[in-house]
Amino acid sequence: MKLMMLAAVAGAVCAAWASAREDRRIFPYPVHVETLENGLQVVGVPWDSPGIIAWYTVVRAGSRNEVEPGLSGFAHFFEHMMFRGTKRFSQEQYNDVVKKLGADSNAFTTSDWTCYHFVASSAALETLMDLESDRFQNLEYDEADFQKEARAVLGEYNKNFALPIRSLQERLFDTAFTTHPYKHTTMGFLKDIEDMPNQFEFSRKFFDRFYRPENCILLVVGDFDRAKLMGLARKYYGPWKRGTGQPEIPVEPEQAAPLEATVEWKNRTLPYLAIAWKGPAFSDRDKDLPALDLISQAAFGETSPLYRKLVLEEQRVDFIDGSASDQRDPHLFAVWTRVKKDADVGGVRDEVLRTVEELKTKPVEPARLKAIQSHLRYSLAMRLDSPGAVARTLAHFLNLTGDVESLNRVYALYEQVTPEDLMAVARKLFVAERRTTAVLRAAGEGRQ
Amino acid sequence: MRRPGFALALLAAAAVPGCATQGGGNVAMEQARGGLKLTLLPSPGAQLVTIRVLVRSGAAQDPAGKEGLASLTAAMLGSGGTASLPYEELLRKLYPMAAEIGHHADKEVTVFVGQVHQERLDDFYPMFRDLFLAPRFDPADFRRNRDDLVNAIEKNLRGNDDENLGKAALELSMYEGHPYGALDGGTVQGLKALTLEDARAFFERHYTRDNVHLGVAGELPPAFLDRILRDFLELPKGEPEPMALPEPRRSKGIEVVFVEKECRAPAISIGCPIGVTRAHEDFYPLMVANSYLGEHRTFNGVLMNNMRGKRGLNYGDYSYVENFIQEGGSTFPLPNIPRRQQFFSIWIRPVRPENALFALRQAVRELDRLVAQGLSQQDFETTREFLINYSRLWAQTQSRRLGHLLDSKWYLGPQGDFLAEVQARLPRLTREQVNAAARRHLQAKDLVVAIVCKDAAALREKLLSGAPTPIVYDTEGTPPEILTEDKAIEAYALPLNRERVRIVPAAGMFEKR
Repeated sequence: MKLMMLAAVAGAVCAAWASAREDRRIFPYPVHVETLENGLQVVGVPWDSPGIIAWYTVVRAGSRNEVEPGLSGFAHFFEHMMFRGTKRFSQEQYNDVVKKLGADSNAFTTSDWTCYHFVASSAALETLMDLESDRFQNLEYDEADFQKEARAVLGEYNKNFALPIRSLQERLFDTAFTTHPYKHTTMGFLKDIEDMPNQFEFSRKFFDRFYRPENCILLVVGDFDRAKLMGLARKYYGPWKRGTGQPEIPVEPEQAAPLEATVEWKNRTLPYLAIAWKGPAFSDRDKDLPALDLISQAAFGETSPLYRKLVLEEQRVDFIDGSASDQRDPHLFAVWTRVKKDADVGGVRDEVLRTVEELKTKPVEPARLKAIQSHLRYSLAMRLDSPGAVARTLAHFLNLTGDVESLNRVYALYEQVTPEDLMAVARKLFVAERRTTAVLRAAGEGRQ
Repeated sequence: MRRPGFALALLAAAAVPGCATQGGGNVAMEQARGGLKLTLLPSPGAQLVTIRVLVRSGAAQDPAGKEGLASLTAAMLGSGGTASLPYEELLRKLYPMAAEIGHHADKEVTVFVGQVHQERLDDFYPMFRDLFLAPRFDPADFRRNRDDLVNAIEKNLRGNDDENLGKAALELSMYEGHPYGALDGGTVQGLKALTLEDARAFFERHYTRDNVHLGVAGELPPAFLDRILRDFLELPKGEPEPMALPEPRRSKGIEVVFVEKECRAPAISIGCPIGVTRAHEDFYPLMVANSYLGEHRTFNGVLMNNMRGKRGLNYGDYSYVENFIQEGGSTFPLPNIPRRQQFFSIWIRPVRPENALFALRQAVRELDRLVAQGLSQQDFETTREFLINYSRLWAQTQSRRLGHLLDSKWYLGPQGDFLAEVQARLPRLTREQVNAAARRHLQAKDLVVAIVCKDAAALREKLLSGAPTPIVYDTEGTPPEILTEDKAIEAYALPLNRERVRIVPAAGMFEKR
């Protein structure tokens, strides 16, 4: 395997990292990790971005942790509430400080984690320590603010669900999962969102459960002094108290038979088709998920035979994509496509099914596998073009395992996957008993 | 002359610890040969090479009845093959290096962005170059690209993208009878009337060496600059006739277009043309006034704080003093969409139907208050400081920095550097200049409004009645001072142009010009 570019380029970026050239890891830069006594992991990654840092706080809780009925969507809602102030910094004061810094600041929630992030001047380091450690320990808001924010969340749902693919995703998850909280999207069920203003007390419980040092990771990438970072982290985050535990997440039982669902869309649309199979949870040790990432490229990527046939030659769909997402619990490998004629939905579904059947018996050519492995490595190298992008990539893996080395391990696994591994995972996963099919099509005369 | 200049630029840049992520510092330089212009941004140590090809023609040059031609032509290059490589083969060759080629046609400019890892530049560049020197114009690519553009209108915009539908309806209405008055992607009938020959002819007329500005960034092999200049000189000479741009009409009073369709929550856009672009000295004070009113995707603006924060009306409320497209998942503007004429706009994200008219009134009232009262000294200072710091983040990546430089040349001439201007001018601004610029260029009386909603007739009737439209809270604990202000907002008088309060079904929009 030829050695990767990130390492080669690193030498030019910073002479101090010249030894990285000999390092076979895909992310060979120094990563400083310190775990405070309260369990908070502080990760510092020097990166050549003079005067700029990216600051990411990873909370290892997302909609996956919403186990109580009627309270879906709370991880995301809580992300909103984190901007509602503390005793020391009211919402207005918090905004004023962030505004003065001129920082790019935001947050997002996924099914597995919640992230609060900044890109700011290096000089902002201590101010960010002060602000962020304060709200993570001392968040305080009243019920009126809570209720107003609940309606901003409903506004977000309203904006998102004007898009058909969001509705299709909502139905696909709701159908494929019976027990695990992956049954709902990160936004939550609409009925639960509508009821959010009544759940003030639960919001405090949510904070108490998950916003705890042992459940969070602070990641700083860019131009900073390592000793100063660690010293400030101890000073500001040291007093943060550990939590008392989290509820168990229910395990999804084995699916027994193929499942189907349909969404009738009230506006004109081309039909969307989603076919998904239950897949594995993320692992940086097993080959199954990396093999699925390669299958995603081999079978559904833009140089795959299926893409050539359906998108370029026959032009029956205008996009197709198939992938497994990295999740902490077993999730889905899902193929998404939009079909140009309503009557052709069945035909396209058959093409997808034929493709996954073929994966079980027909090995992917070694040259093709090599091209895919090269594509994955170059894609990562292309992505790491700013401290924010580096932090985002590392934060993804920190959320999954708490270990930044997972990035290196996964890319090492990509290199080890063989054509036989692809066939083996295809035989194991692409079976009818693991499959859910969902179709969204226009109601009545809106159809093509 | 070219080579010493190039070496000089590299030396100058080497004095700064350069990298792809640095906000400024690397010294850009200009090249021109045979009518072809090139901006070089050396980035020593950068792992990527970025090439931007800016064609100074866009959708505003679409001939009548052939709307969509600029976009389709761009797609034939950016999503098509070369003479020697069918599209499918091109994809296959680009794939192992994960190289990216993107394209976007705006009103006056079409841009192509190629990006590749430095060590694969030699493999990538000939293919990228041939998209311009030997495009394939394959009939199958034409069918696919045209289908995509038609579906983007018929299926996405009309049916399933309410916020962008509102923005498009606003622009159509604001620029009625003006070259900007159609979607960049064209009209359904315009697209369906296009032929492969039309695209080829548009390409030959507009993709000429005098009409193209190249931008290159990265750590480049020594011979590369000469190579790209020599290659692109093969483009035919000539420059299309300059497009006359009449003054856009000014609405009389507030015009409202209700775009009727099935939807959960109305999306609202408000705007008016303004006589200021980045080339105007008032752009800088207006940036400050606008940031105070509604900085994009932040909690800084009064719109965001007063509409979402205090009232929970929706997810977000922002304002803009130029055409703005968010780049991907970032909060930053997409570069290379410059225009000779710009517009001010307010974007109100979907609001529950019962609060739509309250939200409209509140947004217009906030604009009115900005113009009438201006910023306080403290607001002025904090907003200015925010922009001075924040604008340093606008060009974090090499590609974006190069894009900003090309825009700078477009607006400010060969020596222009917009981001440097922001750093130089904002510290010198005064509160009075900001408030005076807001008064000169912004107003809350003559506006165009687009509201995407269902049950448009009822909303229209309610609006025309002039009766108060109180906010409906289903939450408790709203502070008394907010409730008091609500009374003023619900009865805020909108100076409607009653003749131009219309309902348009979404299903028929963008069919033809």
